[in-house]
Amino acid sequence: MNEPPREPDASVAIELSRRKNEGLRTSLVEARRVAAPYLTMTRIAVAKLGASRLARVGAVLLACLALTAIFADLLASDLPVACRWRGVAYVLPNVTRPPALAGETCSRMRATRAAGDWILEPLVAFGPAQTGGDGEILVPPLAKGHPLGTDALGRDLFARVVHGARTALSVGLGASMLLVAIGVALGALAGFSGGLIDGLVSRTIEALTAIPTLVLILVVGALVPQPTTATLLWTIALTRWTELARLVRGEVLTALAQDYVTAARALGASPVRVLWRHVLPNAIAPAIVAMAFGVSSVIVLEAAVDFLRVGSPDSMASWGEAMGEARSHGDAWWLVVFPGFALLTALLASSLVGEAARDALDPRLRTELV
Amino acid sequence: MLRYALRRVLWAIPTLLGTSLILFLVTTLAPDPTPAAPSADAPSADDALAEEARRARFLDLPRFLNTNPQDVRSRALDAVAHVASGDARHEEAARELQQLGGAALPYVLPRLEALPPDERRRVAVALVPLAVRMELSGAQELTRPEAAVLFWTRFWDDRALDFAPAAVSRAVARLVEHGSQLRESELVSMDTFALGEVVHQMTVTDDRVALERLTRIARHATERGPALAPDASAAEARRVVANWQEWWFVHAPDFVRLDGAARVVAVVTETRYGKWLKRAVSGELGVSATDGEPIAEKLRSRAPITFLVCVLAVLSSWSLAVPIGAFGAWRQGRAFDVASSALLFFLYATPTFAVAEVLRRATGGSFALGPRLALAVGALAAASLATLSRWQRAAMLDVVSRDFVRTAKAKGVPAWRVATVHALRNALTPVVTLAGLHLPTVVGGAFVVEEVFSLPGLGFETLRAIEARDNAWLMAIVLVSAAAVTFGLVLSDVICGALDPRVREVLLRRQGGLDG
Repeated sequence: MNEPPREPDASVAIELSRRKNEGLRTSLVEARRVAAPYLTMTRIAVAKLGASRLARVGAVLLACLALTAIFADLLASDLPVACRWRGVAYVLPNVTRPPALAGETCSRMRATRAAGDWILEPLVAFGPAQTGGDGEILVPPLAKGHPLGTDALGRDLFARVVHGARTALSVGLGASMLLVAIGVALGALAGFSGGLIDGLVSRTIEALTAIPTLVLILVVGALVPQPTTATLLWTIALTRWTELARLVRGEVLTALAQDYVTAARALGASPVRVLWRHVLPNAIAPAIVAMAFGVSSVIVLEAAVDFLRVGSPDSMASWGEAMGEARSHGDAWWLVVFPGFALLTALLASSLVGEAARDALDPRLRTELV
Repeated sequence: MLRYALRRVLWAIPTLLGTSLILFLVTTLAPDPTPAAPSADAPSADDALAEEARRARFLDLPRFLNTNPQDVRSRALDAVAHVASGDARHEEAARELQQLGGAALPYVLPRLEALPPDERRRVAVALVPLAVRMELSGAQELTRPEAAVLFWTRFWDDRALDFAPAAVSRAVARLVEHGSQLRESELVSMDTFALGEVVHQMTVTDDRVALERLTRIARHATERGPALAPDASAAEARRVVANWQEWWFVHAPDFVRLDGAARVVAVVTETRYGKWLKRAVSGELGVSATDGEPIAEKLRSRAPITFLVCVLAVLSSWSLAVPIGAFGAWRQGRAFDVASSALLFFLYATPTFAVAEVLRRATGGSFALGPRLALAVGALAAASLATLSRWQRAAMLDVVSRDFVRTAKAKGVPAWRVATVHALRNALTPVVTLAGLHLPTVVGGAFVVEEVFSLPGLGFETLRAIEARDNAWLMAIVLVSAAAVTFGLVLSDVICGALDPRVREVLLRRQGGLDG
């Protein structure tokens, strides 16, 4: 009889949301474990995210890609993973690049090995930038030690695809982090300060929205004397922050009209504290969602630019570049299929995660950010 | 409704200005063609070329505000001062005087009187090559400084009245109407003073013989630029005229007097941004670096293909996306919804260039223009289809759960009527807005599919321009695509307003920010 008053029960809310949203398979037990005893936005979001099977699939795929990117040198490299060469032992020479091994490759080391030398080769003994001789050009898959074949310069496609994951993910994550930082900062500034600054930021957003990003990236790449990956990254970040800034500005304006902000002000909170403690947390949801979708849109842009053969001129491995090469080599189907598969996996995975994050955090964003 | 549409169009102007400002800042990324070490004493041909390239991009002007705009008068007086004093820069100044030519005479000759005899002689001698160029009688025999001074004093007494704008336009008009050797030499003797009118007439007249004469006169006065050959083709003639127009656009301040209101305006217009904007607005986008063809001409010949691809792709993806998305949401969770959602999600994640490349390979690639165009539209539409129908589904889902839909069903309205009239009409508005925001992606995608299917549109040409580093084309293309997208955004907002009166009210009330 002396049961304590029940605290707000996560299971009820989750169950309600399950009924409303047929797609979510929430087990009550799991939800209790995650969300008890109080419901916070984070707890609800985590519970919903964990409950979405598609989000799990996407997260696993993304994790696989990330692991591939991190350990790309173990999967494919022109130098061994570890070796003892001319009496000296090297650990990860393919990462540290010791000068003593400059100019060597796995195959040459294998052929000229002296007594007492040993080499531990990576999974595929070719580097992404290592070009082959005459016999190595456009080798079909599974021939001459190339599991996925080679491209028109005799570079191993497996190595290009594996190292391409590194390019795609680093540009994707880097540019999205930049654009989220810019978008949140400017959006919050515009919403919070209003007046002239708001007008300026809003006009900038409208103006930038009108410029097709792909066209701008192509043109900027052609105008700067030495385009690099950093140029691409900054161009994307400086043009794509607008959608997020628009959303953040809206969130900030809504929050400023709430009673709790008035209350905080009445209690003497400084504008900085009001912004940081009471207003900005509202912008977290759109920021996370924009980040997730940003990764996929940046990867697409990077691949498209490289596909059109105007991307980073340094020999960075890139999926788009490999697919672009296939245009002038009609029968080399492997140049389209394998990089295309990797690209599609990355895009599907990040879109799945983005979708689930949006549904979990803020279903209102559904029609605003796709 | 009309008031709303007008209001929306007006709202696009600050946006366009902002866009132009951003694009202008992008132009500053292009490397500055300054010679490594500008050598004052021995100007080489390279230096002159680099200087010309700098001028063509207005790098000699300040960026946004020109507090002291230079005109022919200030340049001429400056050069006279240097020549007269015979200082270190006097040779350079003499060259400058020759370049300014006849246009400088109305400011130089009246001042001769006021100068001390020594300086007067120096200036008069510096002007002798100009007299030769103007083919004035007796110019060849002017060897003594005193003779030169006398010559120029007399010249100005006789001819001062001819150096007036009205006289020039009369002379040029006469030349165009009934050209003769006499009329031509009359203009030659006015030298650069007549240039503005001459270049203007070039663009107006369609008489070939007159055009030949005009280009010859301009070439004579400026000692540069192409003259039209009698057997040149029509395209050649267009190119020559464009070259002169371009040159005049860059160099006009050297030969024109700025005073009164013109001087005030020049504070803003004689700047890098002012020149750039003026050029963009007037549609004279310069001359292509690869083949010397006017950019505007090239744009006109390439744009229809890109426009066609974009419009067809948007229309076809729309006409599919709306029913698929709406029907999927109406039957949420049923087989059609699940299947179409899965398929569209897959398509949504596939980049346009991959779709295009796969389509090209699957069909073998090389056909006539027609089928290639159809394939390009298909590839582009596939990408938009996924995005648009997902939006449509989300918007429809939102509307279907509203009370008025339930009420309509409860009143016994037929299901199809509820779906179309009650639900779909309300679900269309957000999608129209979003479709406008989707336009930049469509334009970017059009560039890709043109390249894949070798359609000679704007995108195809842009990629060639990137290879050739044709900066004039690149700037023009960003400008044009941004303008086109802005126009599309306005259009989508106007359609939105037509569908939903609430949208109209919001805009008519709006004062500043982005919304409400």
